[in-house]
Amino acid sequence: LLTFLSSPVIVVHCSAWAIPDDMAKASVDGVKSTATAGFLAMKRGGSALDAVELSVRALEDNPTFDADHGAVLNTNGEVELDSIIMDGRTLAAGAVSSVKTISNPVSLARAVMEKTDHIMLTDRGANMFAESVGIPAVPTNTLVTECERTEREKAKNYAVEVKEGHDTVGAVAVDCSGNVACATSTGGIRNKMVGSGGYADNLSWAVSCTCHGESILKVTLARLFHVEQGKRAPEAVEVSLRYMGDRVRGGGAILVSRTGEWAAKFTTERMAWAAVEREVLWYGLNPKEEFKETLRQ
Amino acid sequence: MLPVLVVHGGAGFIPKERVQMSCAGVQAAVRGGYSKLQGQGSAMDAVVEAVTLLENDHHYNAGLGSVLNAKGEVEMDAIVMDGRYLASGAVSAVRKVANPVQLARLVMDKTSHLCLTGEGASQFARSMGVPEVPEESLITEYARMRWKKNLAADANPVECQMGKMGTVGAVAVDAEGNIACATSTGGMLNKMEGRVGDTACIGCGGYADNRVGAVSPTGEGEAIMKVTLARLILFHMEQGRSVEAAADEALAYMKDRVGGLGGVVVVDPQGEWSVRFSSLQMAWAAAQQQTLHYGLYTGEHFTQNIDDPY
Repeated sequence: LLTFLSSPVIVVHCSAWAIPDDMAKASVDGVKSTATAGFLAMKRGGSALDAVELSVRALEDNPTFDADHGAVLNTNGEVELDSIIMDGRTLAAGAVSSVKTISNPVSLARAVMEKTDHIMLTDRGANMFAESVGIPAVPTNTLVTECERTEREKAKNYAVEVKEGHDTVGAVAVDCSGNVACATSTGGIRNKMVGSGGYADNLSWAVSCTCHGESILKVTLARLFHVEQGKRAPEAVEVSLRYMGDRVRGGGAILVSRTGEWAAKFTTERMAWAAVEREVLWYGLNPKEEFKETLRQ
Repeated sequence: MLPVLVVHGGAGFIPKERVQMSCAGVQAAVRGGYSKLQGQGSAMDAVVEAVTLLENDHHYNAGLGSVLNAKGEVEMDAIVMDGRYLASGAVSAVRKVANPVQLARLVMDKTSHLCLTGEGASQFARSMGVPEVPEESLITEYARMRWKKNLAADANPVECQMGKMGTVGAVAVDAEGNIACATSTGGMLNKMEGRVGDTACIGCGGYADNRVGAVSPTGEGEAIMKVTLARLILFHMEQGRSVEAAADEALAYMKDRVGGLGGVVVVDPQGEWSVRFSSLQMAWAAAQQQTLHYGLYTGEHFTQNIDDPY
């Protein structure tokens, strides 16, 4: 299956939720700079897999987003992170769940994919593996912002889990060889107790999803898109999100196909997203927004 | 043709000396689960009962009799899914509980989450009053012997694996037309600590949807995950394939695309069911309208009246 594209394509997202106005600019700036960096990496010959990993690392390191340095705390006051990365060429995948004290879970997920015979490691075993491949543990308090500590104190007064919260970050890409890849990373929802987030297949698309995790799981959102083969990318995403909305509740997703088609859609109030294709940077925050600028390098 | 219950005890290769007990266990499990359905129990009650019986039977790789991880410990995965509202519960890498399938059901019924893992799953079990059992009580001599053999430098755990002791699972449709699935496993022989396979992952190790059907798979976990096998079979059924054709197509795809073998039990809302596997054997049994169905090798399909003794 050899396709050569004239331009790689990358799409990144963070947070399909009602992003407050005071976070809006930082969110949009974050996804724009990240998409730019991922695109340039592919232009220099990097693979789709490299591009999604480096993009999600950048999003993990950005404290505006939940995924890592802004991660929400679980009921024990710890940071627990989940991440997945998948290579559309071979369907190879790596994932970690409930990993603690790791700065960049997406890179740990990639190590699971490339250095073990397994796809997923969890909890203590995931942390031990990190140590064995020389990925350093970082103290929890470097992963927790002051803002989050305050929010958690407030949320403790409520027995019901808070519905808002920062969310998930992700990236999908197709490189010049026509290989697709996806990566998604999250700290989950606030006060949560001690699959579906992404899928990549060269035969169809690469997808990364966001919003209420449990709802995404119930409809295996990333895998739903498979059904829509033959539809154009934006329609495929809309149909799948509508299905999820009908059966459970709203969310967001980004998608790219091996032929370079892409889409970023959401049925929540907002989702910060950005895409780069042929030196054009696209981005949006509110429904129906699709701004564009020439890529600044 | 409702209600119906189909149960499996793992796909792969079962050594001759273990064949009889593997077959007996799935038949006992299907009888136990089916009696729930006949007593107005739900599909969920039936699959949890069947899988509980298999977890308690040391001949299977689930609960008691689970394979050991690289360190010689037992880490188990399980999932349940309720096709009515797409509700689901799962546990991954959970230790020291006798019945992970029941803990998975508690995750579904008592939390707003779908999956709990490791230490968090144990904490939840304690909070639910689920007793912690000593790890030794889950380990059999057979499991320990297989583990030791695989510590050898030239051992090939993936090849040795294939269902000599199997993941267990069940799918059911009750008299009201509600659909459910359950799957439980000790995972892969000599796996890395913390390794989670398909069983705990919704869409991979199980999926149930009242509108389409339910699937419980077994086989090479990483391959099942790469193709999201359970969900893939149900996609094919949504597109009009029969319960057999959907399963065969998906299993062939899995073999072709990622080189993995496995087996599935499948049911649809009308009570049509199938048992398909690309491995040599899969111990299975089904109950429907007073008939007990069972088999082991490809093509086998024996029947008897369910009230006749074993």
